[in-house]
This record gives sequence, C-alpha cells and structure tokens, in this order.
Amino acid sequence: MVTDRTAPVETAALAAEVEGLLEPAEADGVFRDTRECGGALLLAALLLISPPTPRPKTDVR
Amino acid sequence: MAEQTQGAVPLSAVIADAATGVALALRGEGDPYALSAVLRQSDALAPAAIRVLGADVLAPYAMDLPGAPAGGDDAEVVHQALTSFPPGADASEVSVWTYRGLVEASHTLLSASARDWPPPPDAATGWVDADPWPKLSHRVSQLAALALPGLAPGLAEQLTARTDDLARGFVRAVRRRDWLQAAGLGRWLARLPDAPESLGLDSGLAFVRHMGGDDPRVTLHVVAARRFYGRGW
Amino acid sequence: MTGGRGDPGLLDSMVHGSLGWLEESRDFFRLPPNVTTDADPNLTLKPLGELAELTQLIGVLHPRDEFRQTARGLFAFAWNETRDGELFAELIRGEPFATYPVELYGVFAQAGLRHAEADALVDTTTRLRGWRVAREDHTRTLGVLNAERRIGLRQHADSGAVLALTGLGGLPEPWALDRKAAYGVTHDVFHLTDWGRNRQRLSPELAGYLRLWLPSWLENWLEEQLWDLAGELLAVTACLPQAPYPAQAWQRLAGARAADGSVPEIGAAPSSGDRAEAFTACYHSTLVTAFAATLARIASDEAEAGRPAGDTAMAGGRTSCESETAP
Repeated sequence: MVTDRTAPVETAALAAEVEGLLEPAEADGVFRDTRECGGALLLAALLLISPPTPRPKTDVR
Repeated sequence: MAEQTQGAVPLSAVIADAATGVALALRGEGDPYALSAVLRQSDALAPAAIRVLGADVLAPYAMDLPGAPAGGDDAEVVHQALTSFPPGADASEVSVWTYRGLVEASHTLLSASARDWPPPPDAATGWVDADPWPKLSHRVSQLAALALPGLAPGLAEQLTARTDDLARGFVRAVRRRDWLQAAGLGRWLARLPDAPESLGLDSGLAFVRHMGGDDPRVTLHVVAARRFYGRGW
Repeated sequence: MTGGRGDPGLLDSMVHGSLGWLEESRDFFRLPPNVTTDADPNLTLKPLGELAELTQLIGVLHPRDEFRQTARGLFAFAWNETRDGELFAELIRGEPFATYPVELYGVFAQAGLRHAEADALVDTTTRLRGWRVAREDHTRTLGVLNAERRIGLRQHADSGAVLALTGLGGLPEPWALDRKAAYGVTHDVFHLTDWGRNRQRLSPELAGYLRLWLPSWLENWLEEQLWDLAGELLAVTACLPQAPYPAQAWQRLAGARAADGSVPEIGAAPSSGDRAEAFTACYHSTLVTAFAATLARIASDEAEAGRPAGDTAMAGGRTSCESETAP
C-alpha cells in the first residue's frame, strides 16, 4: 500500500526519528562484576592481605 | 490527513530486518542479495531505514562474488533515501558523514544505474584530532558503515593516528556492555592497520557477537569485519 | 620521550589532606588486646599493615620534608603497635603456616626493624615444603615472595614464573577485566615493583601494555566512582617509565575528597556519624590516595627535570640512590 510520503508532519517526525537513530546518545553503562570474594558490597584492594574488608550492607549502591 | 500505513511496524524493526538480511548476505547465506527485496520500494519506511543503515545496505554488493549486480530498483530506493533525508543545515557530524558514506557507496556500487546522485557533502574532520577518546570512540562507532573497504579514505587515514584511542574505546564499550558501540569500533579497528595486538581484536569481536548478537546491527558489524578484513572468529 | 608534567600543587594537597586525616585517625589503627587470637585480622592487622607499608614509602621518598616527617611518625606509631615486633613472634607462633604474618613482618623488616624471635621463627617456617604450597592466588604469592626478599629469606618460588601466571603477566585482553581482575593487576604491579620503589622491574612489554590500557581502566572506574581502585590505577600509572600524568583523572579523584581530607572507597563520603564506620569506609582509599599522589609527585619531578624515569632503584628504607647522569 502506498502512502503519501510527502505529508509534511509525517516527514518531519520521521526525519527526526532518523536523526535520532543515526546518532543516539550514549546509554548509561551497565557495569557487572563477579560476585566472588564474599559477595561484598565493596570488592576491593588486595593491598596487603585482602580486599578492603566487606562491611555489612547498610545501603545498596 | 494521510494515515501512517506502516504505523504498526516501527522503523527500528524495519532496520533490524534489513540488517539481518545484509548480515546473511555477508555470510554468504540465503538467496543472492537484492536490496530491493530486503527493503521494498513500496515500504514507506524503506528510505528511512536505508538512511539509517547507510552504506551498509550496499555492503553485499562490495563482496567479490559473482551474481546479480545491483539493479535499477535498488538505485531507486537508495535515491529516495538520499533525497528524502539530506543532512540539514545544523546536522551533526555523524549525520553528514553517514550521508556522505551512502553517497560514496552509491557512486561505487550502483554505478551501473544511470542516476544523478547527489554530490557528497563536505564533511568536517577536525573532531578526529580534537575529540577526547571516549567521545571520539562513540562517534566513530556510529560511522561503522564507513569502514567498508574503499569508503571515506581520508577519514580512515586520519583515524589511523588515533587507533590506540579507538582501541581504548572498544575496551570501554565492552565494559559498559554497549555491544553496538563495541561492534562498530571493532569493525573500524579491523580496517585500520595497527590495532594493538594486546587488544585481542579477534576474540573481542567474537565475544561481542555472542554477548550482543540479539541486535542484528551488532551481528552485521561483526560479520562485516570478518567478511571484509578477516578479523574475528 | 619525557613523562607528563604533573600538577605538584594538586598532588601535594592530596598527600597533605590524606596524611592529616590519617594522623587524626591514629586511634582507629590501634590493635586490640585480642589481636593475635579472636580479632578479625582484616579489621585490625590489615589496616595497620597497610598504614605501615605506605607511610614507610612516603616517609623515605616524598620530596617534601614535612610530608616525610608526618609519614615517619605514622610508621613509627605502627611499629610501636607491634610492640617492637613482638607481635610477629606471637602471630607466627599462633599461625605458623599463614602467610600474612610474614607479609606484615616484611613491611617492617625492609626498613631495618626486626625482632629476633620472629626472625628465628620465619626462618624455620618458610623453609618447609608446606610453605611452597600456595595458599592464595598468584598475585598473593608475589606478595609473599616480596616479603621473603625483604626479610632476607630465600624465595620459595621463582617470581618470574609466578608473575607469568598473574593477571598482569598473562597480558589479558584489556576488555576482560572486571573489578576483581583490575585489583589483581594493580597488586601485581605493586608486588613486582616493591610498591614503586623498583619501577624498572616492569619489563618494557608490561609497561607498554599498561600504558596502552590504563587510560581505559581509569576512565571506567572513575565513572563508577570507585575511588579506591582509581587511586591504585593512578599509582600504577606513576610507576611507568616516563610516566604520563592523567590530569583529568587526578582532578576527578581530587573531587571525591571529603572536607576532612579523607577519600571514600566508593561514591560519596559516608554521612554516618559513626566514626568507626567512617574509618572503615575511608582509610584504605585515603591511604591509597596518599601513596598514589606521592608516586605521581616523584614521577612529575622526574619529568620536570628531564631525567629518564625508572632507571633508579629506590630500595625500601633508604633514600634515593645516586641517579645516573641524565642523557
């Protein structure tokens, strides 16, 4: 089925959609890490002995 | 007021289907590729989809394979895309470059058709030197279609000087699980001459394909890197 | 090639703030009476050991005398908490097959601080066949080997062979690093280079690999606001020959500082009034910041002087050796 492709409202909207798909803004990063090492909220430095000690979760990051 | 007869099928779905068709052809599978079969002229969204995918809609014609060359129907629908969606006066760099890429590819791969193709627009390259590497990488990933052999030679040469930064962008994109960005960058790195060995580009492309292959555009980039530059497994 | 000229003012302000906070927090580093029996070593011995390790380095190597003085005071405090090393005799007698007492003892031994009974004990325990059985991962083994070297013991394994098995030596794909792996790499560098005292132990291959990929790792973990890991990555950066100075990264880390000079491990500084909790949330990253800013300051001075970096061994416990004449 043929549409009237020159309808101004459709064309403008479509053109905007096209531009948006050509250059979408960067999505937020999804950062995942292994849950190994005690499932600590803070898996961190093996500075001397081990990572910064896991603390009881008081809040979720 | 005219109705949108294709309102039930979003543009993104049309693009996804087209990307799937291109990737299939690049893998040497399926029927011989014909753009006009993948994106029919009668489809109101075909030109829009072509504008978004850019030169990639013609990528299968860049393969050295015997078979039907691009036909008049293909030229018609590409021409429609170019005339319907030219970059505006305030168009972004990406918009201008992707348009330019489609024009270049048309000149090269649709040359048999006697069409008056628009001239390639002037496209700025200052950003290649100026952009910090995260921004550069994001931008370059959106220009992955221009990584086709022979396209945008000037841009490719300039990007060569920032190969390490693009590799860093690849690392960053993978970490962010931005598979489309990673795939686009990986595709450019497949073309550039000195992608760092320690990057592990081949493994990286395979990894991205498996992690992000639900998106046909990701698959397209990875398959193109393999097909045209032999990179990735 | 010369290294990146740094921002000594910024770096010094970070050392100043960190050392000031550490000074104020001395009490939290004190060891409880049950430190060798029931206490959790991760909450007691570990922080003290880290304090000792890094203040020893700052106390010897920082270009500014006032920072060296403060750091030396903290190091002396740490040694005092070990009761002139008697702690180690107790620890080793209590846990003769554990590595951490030896690792801790090495921090002080490298500075010439020893305890006769501890010496005798480690001499015996580290000769056992059982000692050669790895109790932790390869990164940790590098640390144990470094401790053996510091104490003057024969190393129980070939550090080159162990290095090859680590996340650094294996030269993994840079995009394959998660948080855990990234911390492994930083510690591989620290153990290999003796916390930046022997930067030339980084081979050209490893240095090149790190130079390429550190910017992407830094960018990522700064975005995640993992200041602790970002600080360690900055310390590693400062260990490179002709070390670059990532100005933006340093500014971002500087921006994470709390008003009291501490740096939180992740995100914003805790607003909890509980000082013990605040200490645990900050001490590690604050120490790391002081350490990284010290190494970066040294690297920056080298770049300023135009000297080739990384060809001078700066052994623990001694001041900088005579440098070779700059080319």
